[in-house]
Amino acid sequence: MTDLLNMMGIVKEFPGVRALDGVDLDVRAGEVHCLLGQNGAGKSTLIRVLTGAHQPDAGMIRINDEPVQLNSPTAAIQRGIAAIYQELDLVPDLTVAENIFLGHEPSRYGFSRIHEANTKARAILQGLGHAEIPTHRTVGSLPAAGQQVVSMARALSRDARLIVMDEPSAVLDPEEVSNLFRVIRGLTDRGVAVVYISHRLEEIREIGDRVTVLKDGATVATGLDARQTPTKELIQLMTGRSIEYVFPPRTEVRAAAPVVLEVVDLSRPGEFAGIGFEVRAGEILGLAGLVGSGRSEVLETVYGARRAATGFVRVDGAVLRPGRVQDAVKAGVGLAPEERKSQALLLDEAVFKNITVSTLGRFASTGFLNNRAEREAASKLAVALDVRPAGVDQPVRNLSGGNQQKVVLARWLLRDCRVLLLDEPTRGVDVGARSEIYALIRELASNGVAIVLVSSEVPEVLGLSDRVVVLREGRAVHTGPAQEIDEHQVLDLVMEGSI
Amino acid sequence: MSRSSARTLVIAGLSVVALAACTSNTPKAEEDSGNKPAEQAAVKNDEPGKKVKIGFSAPAADHGWMGAITKATQAEAKKYSDVELVVAEGTNDVNLQISQVETFINQKVDAIVLLPFDGAALTPVATKAMEAGITVVNVDREFDSPFAARTTILGDNHGMGVSAGTYVCQQLKDKKDAVVAEIAGIDSLPLTQDRSKGFKEALADCGLKVSNRVAAEFTVESGEKAAANLLQAAPKIDAIWNHDDDQGVGVMAAIKNSGRKEFFVVGGAGSANVMRDIKSGSSLLKATVIYPSTQGADGVRLARLLVQKKALGDLVEVEVPRTVQLYAPVVTKDNVDQYLPTAFES
Amino acid sequence: MSEDITTPSRQDTVTQPAIPRSRTDLLRSGFGRNLGLVVALVLLCLVGIATAGDTFATGANVLTILRLAAVIGVVSVGMTFVITGGGIDLSVGAMVALASVWATTLATQQLAADYHWIFMVSTALAVGAACGLVNGLLVAYGKIVPFVATLAMLASARGLAEIISDRKTQIITVGSFEDFFGGSLIGVPVLVWIFLLVAAAGWVLLNRTTFGRRTFAVGGNAEAARLAGIKVQRHTVALYVLAGLCCGIAAVMLMARTTTGSSTHGQLYELDAIAAVVIGGTLLSGGRGTIVGTVFGVLIFTTLNNVFTLNNLSISAQSVARGAIIVVAVLLQQRLARRTTGT
Repeated sequence: MTDLLNMMGIVKEFPGVRALDGVDLDVRAGEVHCLLGQNGAGKSTLIRVLTGAHQPDAGMIRINDEPVQLNSPTAAIQRGIAAIYQELDLVPDLTVAENIFLGHEPSRYGFSRIHEANTKARAILQGLGHAEIPTHRTVGSLPAAGQQVVSMARALSRDARLIVMDEPSAVLDPEEVSNLFRVIRGLTDRGVAVVYISHRLEEIREIGDRVTVLKDGATVATGLDARQTPTKELIQLMTGRSIEYVFPPRTEVRAAAPVVLEVVDLSRPGEFAGIGFEVRAGEILGLAGLVGSGRSEVLETVYGARRAATGFVRVDGAVLRPGRVQDAVKAGVGLAPEERKSQALLLDEAVFKNITVSTLGRFASTGFLNNRAEREAASKLAVALDVRPAGVDQPVRNLSGGNQQKVVLARWLLRDCRVLLLDEPTRGVDVGARSEIYALIRELASNGVAIVLVSSEVPEVLGLSDRVVVLREGRAVHTGPAQEIDEHQVLDLVMEGSI
Repeated sequence: MSRSSARTLVIAGLSVVALAACTSNTPKAEEDSGNKPAEQAAVKNDEPGKKVKIGFSAPAADHGWMGAITKATQAEAKKYSDVELVVAEGTNDVNLQISQVETFINQKVDAIVLLPFDGAALTPVATKAMEAGITVVNVDREFDSPFAARTTILGDNHGMGVSAGTYVCQQLKDKKDAVVAEIAGIDSLPLTQDRSKGFKEALADCGLKVSNRVAAEFTVESGEKAAANLLQAAPKIDAIWNHDDDQGVGVMAAIKNSGRKEFFVVGGAGSANVMRDIKSGSSLLKATVIYPSTQGADGVRLARLLVQKKALGDLVEVEVPRTVQLYAPVVTKDNVDQYLPTAFES
Repeated sequence: MSEDITTPSRQDTVTQPAIPRSRTDLLRSGFGRNLGLVVALVLLCLVGIATAGDTFATGANVLTILRLAAVIGVVSVGMTFVITGGGIDLSVGAMVALASVWATTLATQQLAADYHWIFMVSTALAVGAACGLVNGLLVAYGKIVPFVATLAMLASARGLAEIISDRKTQIITVGSFEDFFGGSLIGVPVLVWIFLLVAAAGWVLLNRTTFGRRTFAVGGNAEAARLAGIKVQRHTVALYVLAGLCCGIAAVMLMARTTTGSSTHGQLYELDAIAAVVIGGTLLSGGRGTIVGTVFGVLIFTTLNNVFTLNNLSISAQSVARGAIIVVAVLLQQRLARRTTGT
């Protein structure tokens, strides 16, 4: 079996950084080739080289044994290489068909042929097993999973022979993920090769054929069997350490601990209804549920970023005015939102400014900031949380996902939060850093903070929380101690509504 | 700079030779103006004297008349070997124009010819220039202080209105209920107000009045818009006076579009285009009232005389007058040939 | 991405910045970012000295440049805040006109003549701030795009100025006003002092106060700022009020310079101010802004103007040069930005 793609000794340097330092990658036609590596290992850069967005400084790329130069994204597309990125590169206001044929619209004499585009698009979607997606709908109105399918259809419409998928499951529910895997199988059966990037080892077990592991910009192992290679070995290769997710031990929540956060009968039409729970000081409450079950919406409503239609939120006994973030913040509530980059961080600003942004008043007298005090306070927290690379003056953009999350947590720590709302705290955080985040969250709780945790990863919710609330279609279907329920039961609850 | 002044010298030298016995304001009229009475005095004044450095500043040349002002001024300066003209042309930002004058003061020019965007706004800086010993010649738009300029050259805006009104009266003398319309320029400018006042007064003399009045902004586009509105508002018109021939291009376009022919049009300022139309006789344009575009050029001449301490040609008085107001004649088919050469191209 | 991310070296020298000072770091720093502007200004001055040395390099000429820069400079400082905060204000020129007209009405002047010229100044400032308030409310609470909201203000403020002044130039007769603002302090015109004060206050406000920090946050990522508990809407209003206030100050300065108030004042100031802000290095999309850069931007344009005037060159050639400078400056910035963000 000959390789469809050979990349050999790829080197890519940026000013001051050697992002790729001799990467090898071989991909065969019809296989799912998984690319593993921590954040910063060079996966994204490698993909950009492969799709023509970056030019390598050294190394060779061969497609079907023929040396090629991928000078631009267009050149890569012409060679049959397509990529589906985490942030989908679709135009939300164009229709499905228009997106699929963007850049190579069926046309005659310069007039686009809408009917032909629709017909062809329908055929491609059918091939992907998603004939139900209407080709005339605007892409923006589709759910994330549907958008992903459109992205794949676009790749196929250009006769892609190799499709790169960068964390495709990150935005999907378990059910949608299995759907995605069906589509991927369909592709490989037609001889299309898939390069699959994911942080979730269990997915790689399920869908992958072979694995290449990157570490520090170099290939440390390639051609591993995706199903047989022990997890320990993979983690060892990626991190140079051998740890799995380690959940910190629970500490006993004192029954006498005061109720800090009280949510009563919270509703928003079309999103969720009748949600109520209490969180004591030192307790972690987990919200489990599928995408669309209303878990993030509940969190944002508690925070005041969305205005509740009915019900109310009490912090330390005082009712918050609905729809007022500033009131929540003043009462000591903090939110680490789901979309870290777009909702929490000022990416181009220094780490310390991101940490102090909610506490500026403390470092100011009559409006004038004391820069040194600010830096010192932020530094202390950055050290305590082991934010790396060290130094609070660099822009947050330079940090990995896990370290960015630590910066967000540090922001609320600095404020001495009473309540911390965490939405997907480990999304985009690599395996090594996850355990650190878990430990940090537990430590916060033991210091008396009431924490509400939302995650799409059931083991995370169960492993970290003291109590769980399971949401299904906007309603709480189960509330109880985390130890008394297991992953299968939760999945049954969220899919069926009963155990 | 040295290269351009060398060029200026050569051109000026040639001009002086060509102009040896010439008193006309414009090069085109040179040949037939050899035997005017002012010849002797003028020739004497034209002889090269002390070198004079003159700064010139005017509003943006966004208008045919304003463009002609600058062109004529530069052309005039080139005729004199002893004049060096520094042009800081074209701005409608008074802040910037003030700084241009300040720059002239720093450069220690001998005289400044200034056509201010806004006379009142430029008064303080012009006064400052006078206090610095620089001869300021105010052109067209008047300062609001007598200490801001040594000499002021003005067109006759009020006279323009009077001339236009008188012409309209002559044409409509038998129709007591005639409908007379007026398309003014920028209403905020005193010159517009003066023109309208003169027009009204002249019409009143023969028992007529302005039935419809609209204002444009001296641009073709605004002229078209204003005229279209006017034609909508007045179903029957006997005469239209349009203040400005530049906006008149738009006015005539609107009239053409409406297909109406029951009236005649009198122009203003006196562009070459309009004069050619008048000459052809087939246009609705029957006359225009001149507002000389050579005021800047006259300013340069007077500034030179003032600095060189010479008297004005035909005056007995040894000093250049304080105010020179130019005449606003009516151009019709009968006398158009006389004015066409000095008309400005818009 | 720096190497420190991929090689987890367990050093606890956290308080020291672990990244070595490289060339890009230098360019990142405030000094480096403005270096290009300093070079441009110096080059311009060299051209000025070479072509018109005898008049260019004189104290009087420098003051002329500064006086011209003062009015538009104050407007540009306000504009820097709005743009850094993620907005834009197209109505600055119109606000200058309206403030100048309102502050020179017969009634205001009578008040000033009877009591103190401070009445004219406070009228101008109040009018500017009020227009800014309207802008801010429309943008923050009316959810109208800044471009559109301030476009509406551009039209209506100038229109209102024309109505109030009846499109006539209003001459200032209050001698004390002219004496104060037309005068000098230690050889430097009062107008230039005002410009320096506004610029210095603007720098402090943007770089040393909570207000400034919040401005960066709101402009850089409004959603993140909101979720961090910043009152984004109220802050946005404050930014537009600030811009309006600067226009009020500029109106006073222009009144002093021209001894008039007029509805034609401040024409196209919005474009001049935006151009100066942009070449200064403030990001038009918000989140990054520099007062020092803006001041340099204004000085570059006014010096350019001066050099052209001294050399007897036409305003049209100058416009071409202006356009070229804007393009070159923005291209340079983009290259710098690309270099400093790495991947």
